[in-house]
Amino acid sequence: MTTDPNRVLAYLARERPSLELSTVDLCFVAALHLRANVTSTSSFQEDQLVDVFEEVVRVLEPTGEPQGKRASAAIRRLREQRLLARVDGAGVVRAGEFALTRLAAAIVEFFLEEESLTRETLAVLMRTLLTSLADIAAAAASAQTPEDWRLGVATPLRVIIGDLAGGVERRQRGFDLHQVELQKEIGALLGAEWFGAIERSQALLETTSATLRELNQVLMKDTQEAHARLQDVLDRAAAVEPGEVDDGAREGIAEAESAVKEAGDQLDRIAAWGSARQRAWSDHYQYVHRYLRDVVRLDPSRMLTQRLRDQLTGKSGRPFALTIAAAPAIRLLRPLVTPPEERPPVRRPRKEREAEPAVVAALDAQAVLTEKVRAALSEGASTLRDVTDRLTSNLPESERFLAAGRVAETVAALCRPDAGAERPWVPLSAGIAIEEWSVPGSGKGSAA
Amino acid sequence: MSAPRYDRLEDVVLDDLFPEVDLALRRGRHVDRDDADLYAFITDAQDQLEAFFRRYGCELVHRSEGYFYLLPTSDRLGRRHLSSTEMLVGQALTLLYLDPTTTENGGVISREQLLSHLAGVMGTDALVRAMSPKRKKVDQRVAEEATRTKVAEAVRRLASLGFVELLEDGATRLRPALMRFAEPVRGTAAPEAALERLVASGEVVLTDDGDEPGEANDLDDSSEGDERGDLDDSSEGDERGDLAEEPEEAR
Repeated sequence: MTTDPNRVLAYLARERPSLELSTVDLCFVAALHLRANVTSTSSFQEDQLVDVFEEVVRVLEPTGEPQGKRASAAIRRLREQRLLARVDGAGVVRAGEFALTRLAAAIVEFFLEEESLTRETLAVLMRTLLTSLADIAAAAASAQTPEDWRLGVATPLRVIIGDLAGGVERRQRGFDLHQVELQKEIGALLGAEWFGAIERSQALLETTSATLRELNQVLMKDTQEAHARLQDVLDRAAAVEPGEVDDGAREGIAEAESAVKEAGDQLDRIAAWGSARQRAWSDHYQYVHRYLRDVVRLDPSRMLTQRLRDQLTGKSGRPFALTIAAAPAIRLLRPLVTPPEERPPVRRPRKEREAEPAVVAALDAQAVLTEKVRAALSEGASTLRDVTDRLTSNLPESERFLAAGRVAETVAALCRPDAGAERPWVPLSAGIAIEEWSVPGSGKGSAA
Repeated sequence: MSAPRYDRLEDVVLDDLFPEVDLALRRGRHVDRDDADLYAFITDAQDQLEAFFRRYGCELVHRSEGYFYLLPTSDRLGRRHLSSTEMLVGQALTLLYLDPTTTENGGVISREQLLSHLAGVMGTDALVRAMSPKRKKVDQRVAEEATRTKVAEAVRRLASLGFVELLEDGATRLRPALMRFAEPVRGTAAPEAALERLVASGEVVLTDDGDEPGEANDLDDSSEGDERGDLDDSSEGDERGDLAEEPEEAR
């Protein structure tokens, strides 16, 4: 069967198996198991089943109703749940013969057989396992054919080593259960006998500690040896040259290597159990010892609990509070961080920022120029150069040329300049030159 | 008998563990054997540390159950007193520590165990009233929820002081320092006389019903910031209230 958890779960989901066992059913199965052991029989006739069931009911329910129909129903339930199987194959020809299944045997064994790990059982199991491993390593050393690898190495590893290691693991689980019960037992002992339980509790603690220590020692030593034997098998498999064997043998070797890995993992789990349980038990051991020393021995009459209970409920004493140190932490100053400036709050504008358009007089540039020229003339400018200088000296250089032309035009419009036949060119600032005019009304007179 | 590990205070202070131990003790932490390295360090340096802390007006106390703590005997070092909620929860935890059934799990209990134990000892109504003494009329469901929250918060604060240890999935490990809560009722003396002796030594202060103890010195807000940082609003307010005033007896 596959070990892939997804496939296993899918299979179980498809098959929808379930178990529902009442105490009567469980006792019925247990009684069949015990009867089979006592009488050394492997199967039961139908009337034998009914007899056993009636016995069970008589024990469990002395005043119960007639059991005829109940026995049939119980047998049907067990068959439906695959705890009981018909083994004769005769069908309707005659009454059937039934046997308990492996599932029923496992359930009964869980309840009836104490299979806890002890030093003796572990030593026997591990010795057997090591002997079997030695045989397997010898088989691997002489293996030649695919069958040698498969039947001499892979299969024994899976079956014999797997079963032996599984037996150890099963007993380990039994030991775990036993340990849980022991922890409860110590608690119950102390609860019942208090001071009188100290010796017994200590003895239980010491016994379990010693057992765990011994088990762990055996596990550490023997699993190490087992790993060495498995390594021998692996070394032998690795030593086989690829050209030395055919494809079939290579498959057998690969199968053996896979079985070695599985066995190694199982041994690792077994060894890890020992150290994990010893650690966990060590904590419990220390706690219980401390409890015995600090609580039980110091309060032999067990008055403390009652007095504390009275204190808690306020029946005795006055309320109080424990004092504890509470030194403030050292104050570490942080670097100054300037808080960000506060932004002005968002407001609605109170009035329209866009002013209404108003009718204004258009600006007449020529009229302005005319006024300026007129003013310059009246101030005594006698030549065109003089007038032009006054009006363009403050303008940017790029505008002066254009302005000089307009000034000349305006001067000509306002007065009648004198222009001789020879009109000298005179320089202005910014590299401009103009014809010189004499403007009337001036002493010198010049013409553009 | 082995020679002491530290001859001089200088050697103690220069040890890598000193800052951690010093801070833990000053913050009220109880150090027990489960704090293996710290406990071993204090044990080895006990003589030097006792003299060192005495200069700060504190006693380094070592109890027979195997734990150390710092007890301020003057105002030089900050101190505070446990709140009524912490005291209630602490005493209930001590009862569980004394209960032999807790040995089954090595002294590990669940939150539900603590609450049911508290309710069993005090009664549900008394427990709810004790946890919310100022509330006159409250919805039962709301009051129970508030009680659970306060108990959980008290456990967390007691864990920061080393009385218990918080484990995963809400479990709590009981520690020996819980026996401090049982000090007044230990021994053969009458509880009143034992209480008087403890008050005189500064171990405890008396509180009246509804009176909340607090800090003896003003604590900086940051001093327990890390402990209070994740409090929810309601419990934080209450706990700060618990620490706000100190009764007259404590002064």
